Amino acid sequence: MLRFVLKRLVSLWLSLVVASVVIFLFVEVVPGDPAAYMLGMNAQEDTLNALREQLGLNGSLLERYLSWVGGMLRGDFGTSYTYRTPVSEMIGERMWISLPLAVFALALSTLIAFPAGIWAASKRGSIADVSVMSLTQLGVAIPNFWFAMLMVLLFAVNLRWFSAGGFAGWDVGFLPAMKSLTLPAVALALPQASILARVMRSSLLDTLGEDYIRTARAKGLSRRQALWKHALRNALIPVLTIIGLQFSFLMAGAIIIENVFFLPGLGRLVFQSISARDLIVVESVVMLLVFAVILVNFLVDVAYALVDPRLRVRS
Amino acid sequence: MSLLKIENLSLSIYGTPILKGVSLSIEAGQIVGIIGESGSGKSMTALSVMQLLPEGSTATGRVCLSGNEMLELPEARLCGLRGDEVGMVFQEPMTALNPIQPIGAQVAETILIHQNVSRAEAMKRAREALNRCELPEDKFPMSRYPHELSGGQRQRVVIAMAIALQPKLLIADEPTTALDVTTQAEVLALLKRLTREDGMGLMLITHDLAVVADMADEIVIMRHGEVVESGPCPELFDTMQHPYSLALLKASDHQPEREEHSGTAPLLSVQNVVRDYALPREKLFAGQQYFRAVKGVSFDIRRGESLGLVGESGCGKSTLTRAILGLEQVQSGSIMLDGEPVFAGKKPNRDVRRKMQVVFQDPYGSFNPRWKVSRLVAEPFHLLDDAPVGRAREAAIAEALESVGLSAGDADKYVHEFSGGQRQRIAIARALIIKPELIILDEAVSALDVSIRAQIIDLLADLGTQLGLTYLFISHDLSVVRNVTDRCLVMQHGEIVEEGVTADVFERPQHAYTKQLIAAVPTLPTQEEPA
Amino acid sequence: MNRALIIGAVLSGAFALAALISFVWVPYDVTGVDIANRLKAPSLGHLFGTDHFGRDIFSMIMVGARTSIAVAVVAVGIGMLIGIPLGLAAAARKGSLLDELIMRGNDLVFAFPSLLIAIMITAVFGASAVNAIVAIGIFNIPVFARLVRGAALSLWTKDYVLAARVSGKGAARISFEHILPNVTNLLIVQGTIQFSLGILAEAGLSYVGLGAQPPTPSWGRMLAESQTMFSFAPHLAIFPGLAILLTVLGLNLMGDGLRDVLDPRLRRARR
Repeated sequence: MLRFVLKRLVSLWLSLVVASVVIFLFVEVVPGDPAAYMLGMNAQEDTLNALREQLGLNGSLLERYLSWVGGMLRGDFGTSYTYRTPVSEMIGERMWISLPLAVFALALSTLIAFPAGIWAASKRGSIADVSVMSLTQLGVAIPNFWFAMLMVLLFAVNLRWFSAGGFAGWDVGFLPAMKSLTLPAVALALPQASILARVMRSSLLDTLGEDYIRTARAKGLSRRQALWKHALRNALIPVLTIIGLQFSFLMAGAIIIENVFFLPGLGRLVFQSISARDLIVVESVVMLLVFAVILVNFLVDVAYALVDPRLRVRS
Repeated sequence: MSLLKIENLSLSIYGTPILKGVSLSIEAGQIVGIIGESGSGKSMTALSVMQLLPEGSTATGRVCLSGNEMLELPEARLCGLRGDEVGMVFQEPMTALNPIQPIGAQVAETILIHQNVSRAEAMKRAREALNRCELPEDKFPMSRYPHELSGGQRQRVVIAMAIALQPKLLIADEPTTALDVTTQAEVLALLKRLTREDGMGLMLITHDLAVVADMADEIVIMRHGEVVESGPCPELFDTMQHPYSLALLKASDHQPEREEHSGTAPLLSVQNVVRDYALPREKLFAGQQYFRAVKGVSFDIRRGESLGLVGESGCGKSTLTRAILGLEQVQSGSIMLDGEPVFAGKKPNRDVRRKMQVVFQDPYGSFNPRWKVSRLVAEPFHLLDDAPVGRAREAAIAEALESVGLSAGDADKYVHEFSGGQRQRIAIARALIIKPELIILDEAVSALDVSIRAQIIDLLADLGTQLGLTYLFISHDLSVVRNVTDRCLVMQHGEIVEEGVTADVFERPQHAYTKQLIAAVPTLPTQEEPA
Repeated sequence: MNRALIIGAVLSGAFALAALISFVWVPYDVTGVDIANRLKAPSLGHLFGTDHFGRDIFSMIMVGARTSIAVAVVAVGIGMLIGIPLGLAAAARKGSLLDELIMRGNDLVFAFPSLLIAIMITAVFGASAVNAIVAIGIFNIPVFARLVRGAALSLWTKDYVLAARVSGKGAARISFEHILPNVTNLLIVQGTIQFSLGILAEAGLSYVGLGAQPPTPSWGRMLAESQTMFSFAPHLAIFPGLAILLTVLGLNLMGDGLRDVLDPRLRRARR
């Protein structure tokens, strides 16, 4: 087991290195002279030089890459050109909205999907199954930002239960802060929950058709006991894969949803930086998000091994 | 009163009749063998007793297990009986166990479900059950996972689960079909011992007459969902009346009419062949480890003869086959066909490949389902530099199909329109179309029902005589090899341990392993050859 | 006949038809400004109402369907064109360096959700509909490569592939003659699903301004433009959203139906 984790850790680091090279090359090399790009057409030569100096553009490619990566490892993401503040501070602030939002949404999605999927599978072919499946069919097809707008229309504009957007801030207390994240989290979670519920159901149905379920039934387990004691844990394996994949969709979705609700998170930061041509911020935030995806996939791999003893040896 | 009494049981699944008026009974301590080919309804009879029938099933008649009317009991009562009164063992041991639960917990579950005992007590009794099934504690601790066990060992775990509560009836549905012959003998002996020790009734379902002939007290022969004949064993073998029973018996030990062959000129010559496989790396910086699948094997196949290659799974016979076919390069040694190497330099030798073809085991996986028979059969033409086209090609396809007993019109069909036996004929036609000299039969009749198997064996024998073919007959089934080959080789752990004229090898085996193999083969009682 | 397939085909067919008709006829011109008719609620004259420039929403949805469909078709095309050969090659040389490279490359791309790719492209090249196509297309490559590799690996163990090798056929020939025809069903089903995901992704990208730019009409941008007004003119947001929902729903139903009709054993392959 330890060796499995170590091996995965090595591949985690490899992925991070390759991903950082790709991002670095794309953002710092493809545009030609990033300083000229950021300042636009009419930049003065001395301002350009000053920016090049500040960005460390005067070194060789390898030096620049190493200093960028080295800085990130120390928690130094450089200084935003437009805001004149350290990027790490900006990210630090915004992360306290984006991260709780993603976790909130993932928790909601799992909490909805698991019972729904299990219920539908255990009552296969019944009205319950058909209605859960029809609802999830709608949930998969609905664009989450549109769903968010509809919820604003209903819960904020008409019913006035929630505010239409903005973030209360953590300093006003946990509950008010969570309240302002509720609509965004629901908007993010429902489409993902629909996908997850469908996967849960079909994976469970597949597992219920396996030979070892028949063996369990021959031992005297009821259908229900066979489902809970044998099918469920086996069915989790593909479900975990999807949860891992969903995390990246969730993050991408979060960037869009932050826009609907005017939440000052990482997503808003990225868009503001794009319009301000602030490549340093874009680069750092993209790297951070990619890091999050790779990390979550690593955790999913470890979770796999916890569920499935066969992986622990094979690795 | 019988332990199990089935009376006039009929079953249909979504309206399709599966069983028609089946009646049989099993007494305590009795072993009843149920025999039939695929589709005979033997497994469904067993599942009817367990009441674990597939969705859409409707059963009528009576199934009475020690006083319980199984067809009428509510599900909750049935759960109470399954595992306690009646246990079941299935065909496929590789998938019968939950892959992510240790074996001890799976056996203990049988006890925990039915009896109000502590976990520790259940584990203790599970240990005893495993011990009884010859899985001793020092080698097979309860914490083992199924993937760490072989097929035979897994089947023992399944048996331990089924007998943990000493049920009155044990149902075993083809329990040894997926196992090697020596393992099969051990598992059958285990079942027999447990039956005697516990005074259980045993319902032993199989397609192999010989398996039941050795151990059953009663035999029931089924076909198309009906019982065609039943009676005490072994007396029934002498008193069989029903034409189907007789045909089945005859086909089980079918000997084709063929000429003995004793030429001397070698067609294929295998010399000191070694084949290694790289193992997955255990440690990051350790050197590459190898597994030697074939360890310096030498033999000749003489022109016109039929040579058998016998061995259990994992003995290296598949690897050897692939090397002979030129699909994989060997590490050392040489394989020469008609004086030319099968592998010339780094590439397989086309000239040699033209002279040999192969027929595989699985009649379903052997054909691209999207191709018509004509294209399938003509595929080996790829080996010819001047393959026939147009009319000549059609004529060649028609000739090949007709030579295996199909019609030229079958060329325009897809394989899914054919039965298993017909597909195997198509596979033979594909092998014949470029008129090869050597045909490798890789378990070519192993997946077929006995009656179909007999027909294919006859066809191969006819073709061999007509066309002067040389056969390499690879099989795990000793009785077939005995009936169709002139000489045979016995392979174990990558080595050939015995070689000789088939009759000699079977009657006077020299090597200990050959003796063990032959002793393990279940045999039919000897009977008078019907005139 | 399969009900899901029929409903799905009718729904997606309707939008494809609307996109085609929009090339020759739309009820109202969508490029002109008609201030007198701005923000009209749905009526017989304007079925779905008008926007803040007085443009007819119904006509804009018809024209917007073109963008959605074009982006999704090209993006799925890119994914298939590159992903399928990669998957076939990886399976044919299982365990080789090539296989390893392809699979690691796939993993890497999976770490970049299409939105992140679009963000990077936009940050460097500026926003356009091409961004959306490239970003979604790149994300589709590993989807198809993995699908094909997985299916091909199991096909390579079939005896008919062995028979083809005995007949002297090479890996490339076997891949095209035996493997590819037997994965087409899977590809059709997955293609439909990726198509619907592509439409969703395009809408999302256009909504945040990373996709189609004015004046190209797009459902996502219509929703973005409605953002400040939908509280008092909800029809601005409702109809383009419904268009996305119904198209995606139609495609998904079609995918489900196709899967059941083409091969019931594929049930596993769908998530």
